[in-house]
Amino acid sequence: MIGTGRGGPARLGVAALIVWVVVACAGAAFLAHARLQELRADFETDGRIAHRRISQRVVQYDAVMATLTLLQPAAVEGGAPVTRLASVYPQILTVLQRTAAGAWPTLLAAPLAAAEAASRASGRPEMALADLRAGRYYLVMAGSPASYALQIDLKATVPYDEWPMDVASSPVRVTLELGDAAFVVQPGRARQASLGWTYDFHKRLMVRSQPLDVVAHRTVELRELPWLAILAWCALTAGVGAGGLAAWRQRASRRRMEELLRLGQVARLNALGELAAGMAHELNQPLTALLSSTQAAKRLLVEDPPELDAARTAMVRAVEQAHRASAVVGRLRRLVERPDLAADVQPLSLAAATQDVLRLLEPDLAERRIATTVSTDPGLPSVLAEPISLQQIIHNLLMNALQALEQVPPGERRLSIAMTAAEHGQATLSVRDQGPGIAPEARRRLFEPFYSTRPGGLGLGLTLCESLAQAMGARLTLAPQAPSAPRGAEFILTLSSASASHDR
Amino acid sequence: MTDNASSLSPLIHLVDDDAAVRDGLSQLIGTVGLRVRAWADPQVFLAEFDRVGIGAIVLDLRMPVIGGMTVLERLLAGGVDHPVILLTGHGTVEMCRRAFKAGAAEFLEKPVDDEVLIEALQSAVRQHVRSRERHRADRQARECYAQLSPREREVLGFIVEGLTNKEIGRALTLSPRTVEAHRANLFAKLGMDSLAQLIRRFASIAQA
Repeated sequence: MIGTGRGGPARLGVAALIVWVVVACAGAAFLAHARLQELRADFETDGRIAHRRISQRVVQYDAVMATLTLLQPAAVEGGAPVTRLASVYPQILTVLQRTAAGAWPTLLAAPLAAAEAASRASGRPEMALADLRAGRYYLVMAGSPASYALQIDLKATVPYDEWPMDVASSPVRVTLELGDAAFVVQPGRARQASLGWTYDFHKRLMVRSQPLDVVAHRTVELRELPWLAILAWCALTAGVGAGGLAAWRQRASRRRMEELLRLGQVARLNALGELAAGMAHELNQPLTALLSSTQAAKRLLVEDPPELDAARTAMVRAVEQAHRASAVVGRLRRLVERPDLAADVQPLSLAAATQDVLRLLEPDLAERRIATTVSTDPGLPSVLAEPISLQQIIHNLLMNALQALEQVPPGERRLSIAMTAAEHGQATLSVRDQGPGIAPEARRRLFEPFYSTRPGGLGLGLTLCESLAQAMGARLTLAPQAPSAPRGAEFILTLSSASASHDR
Repeated sequence: MTDNASSLSPLIHLVDDDAAVRDGLSQLIGTVGLRVRAWADPQVFLAEFDRVGIGAIVLDLRMPVIGGMTVLERLLAGGVDHPVILLTGHGTVEMCRRAFKAGAAEFLEKPVDDEVLIEALQSAVRQHVRSRERHRADRQARECYAQLSPREREVLGFIVEGLTNKEIGRALTLSPRTVEAHRANLFAKLGMDSLAQLIRRFASIAQA
């Protein structure tokens, strides 16, 4: 129906798509970033907690050593301190004592002696014989008269009962490291070179005697991103965007339709105005000649004596001019018949056309508080009509009704539109208003050109509708005034149905 | 009334491209004794019509090459003093206003009734005759005025202002007798018999 502006909507679609992609990506990036921030914060918190918990355990060994060296419990070989300690601290595997005269067990003598020397110099316990892979190390404290050594089990040291992570399933790998050697506290997920993000936590225990590093590492894989939320976001923006675009397109098409209708009306009015001016001149020329000739003849005949020859010439001319005027009228008539309209007649939905026009006029109807009822016969067939003409007719009929209803109080403004299947394969559209109605005198002249009951009205609306209707094989009539309904007016447009077209 | 042109009866110029209209209107105008010259082509009319004679012009507004309004403008630009009656088949208020603004004497709608047209034509002719007479009298007065001496013109100026001889003498430092002599001379030169006549004819010229 509308052939212009095909490039516009396509460009608009591409632009909308680009905007959507940008918005969706920005939202996705934001969601991913937020999740990563959250994971990182969790990771660091867990790291800090793990570090503090291990530190708290390890620092106990310092206290144990300090107590041992201070109290110097009975130097009984394999005696009471060892058993008591091991029962209180299961993580302490062995307690060794070297009395002033004694020596460290032979196999461990050299490293323990070196640690003892260092401890004596530093005044605090020192580590020795660390085997982190096995999770064992000795802690040596020089004392007097006896020095002590404890063998520590790291696995038992780690406070798994108050551990911030689930050791089995957590993706975080936690190790305790000393130099290159490492004790695995929590295996976590294997280090991967794949796409993703890595977080690292590295902090030495807060115990100077046991300079172990708590190292935590975590990789975040792509699958850990909040894909569901991202998907939901994309879907949401796509939905909103598509809705907005559709609404915008609908508005644009509605505006274009309004424009088209108005243009059509203006063009028709202009054409009619031109026609009227041309018609006035074309008709006034012979009428002028006719009138002046007859008046000249009248004057010639009353002279004394009457100038008969001249009067005869004048009358011959008058007759000629009357014929000329009649020929002008005939020519105009053929001019305005518009046979071309019949070619554009096509099957279309009467209900849809009515809805289109109603949508256009919706603001006008609402503004005037007109209660509109539309009834559509379920068996309404498609009708044969030229789309623009049909809309123009409906538009004009509704406008007329609207203007009629303006003359009654707002509470009584009712407009009913009914579409029904009629006999002989026809369909009718009835537009009925509860306005003041049409006076009998006006009823007769309603379809005459330039006849209007409205001040300032051109008197062409119904004339135009009628000729448009005729041109596409339809009929526009004013329903007879029903005695039961003293007020209001009803116009009926009768159209051929598309299914009956082959009969014609 | 002694002019050459006005000794002939007035001539109506009818300009319309439609032959039937020209014939009908010509015949109608002829029935009241007015002479008519019909023109089919406005350009030929503009080039050839007699500008000296008394008469009026009837113009159709809607003509193919140049319309009535253009013809009217060209007539006025060429200093033609004939009254112009415009005829139109579809007159609008706006067009009517334009026509009068441009100097049309009358604006009539087609088809025009005989009495309206004839009345308009006769009134136009009368108007033309009067304006020609006024012009002629004016011209004569100016010629006479040109014969006066500078002193006589001064005296005339005071006379039309209503001063007495004594007052004029005082104003021009002349004796009343001399003023009296000038006064007699200028009455004779201008061919005037009375003071009233003199003032009516020469007040505007003397005061200019």
